[in-house]
Amino acid sequence: MPVIYLDNNATTAVAPEVVEAMLPYLEDQYFNPSSMYEAARGPARAIAEARATVARHLHCRPEEILFTSCATESNNTAIIGALRARPERRHVVTTQVEHPAVLEVCKFLVREGFDVDFLPVDGSGQLNVEAFVRALRPGQTLLVSVMHANNETGVLFPIAELARITKETDPGILVHTDATQTAGKLPLDLRGELRHVDLLSLSGHKLHAPKGVGALFLRRGAPVRPFLLGGHQESGRRGGTENVPYIVGLARALELAEATHAEDGERITALRDRLEGELTRRIPYLEVNGAGAPRLDNTLNVAVHFVEGEGMLYQLSARGICASSGSACTSGSLEPSHVLRAMGVPFTAVHGSLRFSLSRYTTAEEIEAVIEALPEIVASLRRLSPYWDEGARAPRPEGEALLRQAVEERRQRLAQQS
Amino acid sequence: MTWNYSEKTTRLFMDAVQGRPGTHMGEIANPDGIGEHGSIACGDALRFTFRVERHPSDPTRDIIVEARYLTFGCTSAIAASEALCAIIEERRLTPIQALSITNKDIVEYLEGLPEQKIHCSVMGAEALQAAVFNWAQRRGVDLRALGVDITPEEREEGRVVCTCFGLTEPYLRRKIVELNLRSITDITNAVKAGGACMSCHHKPGGLQDLLDDIWGRQPTEFKTEVELPVAQLIARARGEDGLSPYQFAKKVERVLDEYVRPMLAQDGGDLEVVDIKDTLVYCRLKGACAGCVGANQTIKFMVEQVLKDRVDQRCRVIAV
Repeated sequence: MPVIYLDNNATTAVAPEVVEAMLPYLEDQYFNPSSMYEAARGPARAIAEARATVARHLHCRPEEILFTSCATESNNTAIIGALRARPERRHVVTTQVEHPAVLEVCKFLVREGFDVDFLPVDGSGQLNVEAFVRALRPGQTLLVSVMHANNETGVLFPIAELARITKETDPGILVHTDATQTAGKLPLDLRGELRHVDLLSLSGHKLHAPKGVGALFLRRGAPVRPFLLGGHQESGRRGGTENVPYIVGLARALELAEATHAEDGERITALRDRLEGELTRRIPYLEVNGAGAPRLDNTLNVAVHFVEGEGMLYQLSARGICASSGSACTSGSLEPSHVLRAMGVPFTAVHGSLRFSLSRYTTAEEIEAVIEALPEIVASLRRLSPYWDEGARAPRPEGEALLRQAVEERRQRLAQQS
Repeated sequence: MTWNYSEKTTRLFMDAVQGRPGTHMGEIANPDGIGEHGSIACGDALRFTFRVERHPSDPTRDIIVEARYLTFGCTSAIAASEALCAIIEERRLTPIQALSITNKDIVEYLEGLPEQKIHCSVMGAEALQAAVFNWAQRRGVDLRALGVDITPEEREEGRVVCTCFGLTEPYLRRKIVELNLRSITDITNAVKAGGACMSCHHKPGGLQDLLDDIWGRQPTEFKTEVELPVAQLIARARGEDGLSPYQFAKKVERVLDEYVRPMLAQDGGDLEVVDIKDTLVYCRLKGACAGCVGANQTIKFMVEQVLKDRVDQRCRVIAV
């Protein structure tokens, strides 16, 4: 059975061009780039070129790029490194919907005695800029860490704007953004639009490079101590022998993304929009999470009322379709997605979320396969549901009552925030 | 997190969602017993109904002949519901006998469930209890008089902290406060949490974090036999006779020159101070005394006593 891969926000297929670029460094170009002999020049030059490529893509200087093992390491380096440099600043601003690679680091800071503001989002997943402004403390805030696009919903945060506000409030506050989901999908201009961003994390495996490589943009002069202590690699800012083949792969993947961006972008958007439109039309009581907010073109997150997500994923998987869910049963923690809860998705639907994330390899046929499969799958589970009458294609009275209660709860919750 | 369900679990689930004959999906109209467990907000909910073959005179001898479920939940919750109904129908049990079906029976019927899915089997057993209770009310059976105690097993829903024993954060928080548990060891002894793989001890959101959150951050329990920190000893030494480390070292040398070295010199020996860390004096014997059988004893008792008497009572000499 062919695999229909629609989980590209989790990881992506490695592009054949990337594999090709990496191969020499897995074969005869194995030398340690720090070594002195002639043979090691190849790998050393490859890293320098990769750094220049990444810098070109991000519009920054090559020496402002650190290669890391993943975005999680980049995020840890940014946050922990910042507090190591200026321990006198004890306040951090972030959001409730960050990836765990930021959220857990911030929770760690709380346990270490830091003051952290976890900003809420509204029903469409957007940040309240006023709340953001209120949270900033000139002279005290160490760091602002806000993701560029949300991995679950694709909702974009106005990083350029938030960064500018931060710097005008106090140029001493560092601005970090986790751009794992936007790198390779959106232009990132650290000299232009994103000129007030000091730290930016990205990951290779979300943009058709392999797992095990990431990068951190670290603006020149930004006070950030190293996180991984060790050798002199990366100008002493990140110890550890450079992962030459993967670094080369990351750079090649960014080049490819840039080259194919314009054409891929439109096609992917059209496919996503068709999927969204058809699912909304064919499945009653389905909500699009993040509808109404600026979103990544490749991401569709829906919440199906009265159905549990894992059962849908399982049946999709049985048809070769790979997607993911924010349902409690798929998280390993028995809690539904923190992102959807922060958005106030009604409790009748929060366990029934599905995320489809597309890539440049996604075809129209694959999207049609999902459009055919999902309505049947939802119906099969709703026939089993104590809250749904599949004959009437509507909730049973008890489901209806719960729905009213859930919608009311959401209304009150969101009203409280504003 | 990939699926590692048994083939049977998978088959029961697929049969149910495809509505194959022989599955127990549905709801009995005018049932003899109805029970519910869970809620949509928690992510799992089950409505369980059964019909009995009524005994003409003794309701306690009613036999369950048909059992049906409606379930909102994941793959394993649906398969566990199917298992519950199948077990009951196969065994032709009275409602009271049916109570002896435990979540273990359900797990066995499913040929195993992943650890983090065990709660799905518990849900089935609890809905059954509720349904039996409901049947007893309808049929006028006094369960308590028969010695049947239905107190649903208490299990708070929530984030699982200890995956080995399936213990949730709300449950652990309550127990920590109720039983005044102050350390991870206390928790493990009282409720088993953290007693198996131990990975929940210090992970984010783990047992230590719960303790810190409830009782406030305490110094981490970690006792070693380390001496007082050097800085403290220095401060204390200064407090007594006001000597700086340099002055202390000079005084040690002066005393050794005056009282120790002349004695050693008589035997053709000498003594070298290798290092001083506040009141710890590291010494090595030299010359004829080096390698002497009693050398270390000499240093320990003779030299140390001299330094205690003439420099500082807290001096300790360590032979190198």
